[in-house]
Amino acid sequence: MSLREVFERQPERRYIMFGGKGGLGKTTLSATCAYWLARQGKRVLLFSVDPQASLSDIFQKDIFGKGAVPIVENLWAQEIDADKRIQEYQDEIRQKILDMYGFDRVPEEIDSYIASVSAEPAMEESAMFDAVVDIIVKGDYDYYIYDLVPLGHALYYLSMAKIYDEWINKITKLRQDMGQYDQVAATLRRQENVEEDKILEELQYIKRRINTSSQILTDKQRTAFFFVLVPEEMIILDTQKAAELFARFDVPISGYIVNRVLPEELRGAKIPVYLQNRIKMQEKHLGSIRASLGRQILAYVPEMERDITGLAMIERLAQRLFESP
Amino acid sequence: MADNEKKKSGAFQVFKDIIYGMSSHEMTRHAVRSRASMEHLFILITMGDLLGVPILPPYYSLRLLPYVTPQISTWKRRMLRERDITDTLG
Repeated sequence: MSLREVFERQPERRYIMFGGKGGLGKTTLSATCAYWLARQGKRVLLFSVDPQASLSDIFQKDIFGKGAVPIVENLWAQEIDADKRIQEYQDEIRQKILDMYGFDRVPEEIDSYIASVSAEPAMEESAMFDAVVDIIVKGDYDYYIYDLVPLGHALYYLSMAKIYDEWINKITKLRQDMGQYDQVAATLRRQENVEEDKILEELQYIKRRINTSSQILTDKQRTAFFFVLVPEEMIILDTQKAAELFARFDVPISGYIVNRVLPEELRGAKIPVYLQNRIKMQEKHLGSIRASLGRQILAYVPEMERDITGLAMIERLAQRLFESP
Repeated sequence: MADNEKKKSGAFQVFKDIIYGMSSHEMTRHAVRSRASMEHLFILITMGDLLGVPILPPYYSLRLLPYVTPQISTWKRRMLRERDITDTLG
């Protein structure tokens, strides 16, 4: 199967993710894929969950923290500014405290707690996670293409969804039990009904958001996850390990894309020994990739003669990936 | 003679114990118990999950903060408070 066939045969797969080690071309392939889908007339949003996102670089346009920015017809790109989001979120919480209790300033103890919590490393990931939910919940696009973070982070991101989910179930249950006691007390006091539990409402809101996100990540009907690798020994080994881990988190792996393959034309031409050796090495690794992944390989992407930045280059790569037989 | 010596030191020991009981025993007990309750609090903070008190993911726990703001200082005091059997009796 080719990459094109995957999209044509499974049009209900709207959430597209490219994963792999750092620097293998995840962003390039995400952008190329988004570009091609947009050209087919689909409305596409390409967004990055990487704090060191490089969509701005590939499109040669500063889009960081600016929401969904139009790139070409039907294609929008977005880089989430986690710091800004955390800042706004903190302000929102402070404002809520002021409004709820009519304080003119947030109590110092509370204020320093807000500040210290926001400095925790998990905060940035969580903010990203939450921002992605915002993007997906709106549902304005036909395709959502995730430009994922390198493997380790992506796994963390996935496991976080699971942990959040378990945590929230536990605490919601606790809150519901507390509600039952309230109910009993109210009945004993012959009160008509108890006050709505605002905390429980918040918990249910959080639960819905977390579920939205984690369901998509593991949804075999709507999600396609592609692994990007290059024909090098360490990368192949790492990718195999990662694929096992992802499978354990029920991530539906749709196929593999082999990037940076030295072009065929080189063979036969008069080339230096160094390049001859590189080609030989690649051939050996390509052989082992073929042997272990076989039909799961959707595309071989050639090493280009220059960086893939700018729309012209993306267009060229899209032709190679989707149009050439 | 040796018997007498033993007796003497025994009496002294009792005397020492009484003095200790009157003066520092209460303080020691207090210190040990404070230490123990702080230990418990520490375990609660770090291993809360073992007791079903989950460690909150910080981003979402902030959403709940406004609702518990008035209770925070009381809660802190309560967590750090000493407890003994008279609490349950009273």
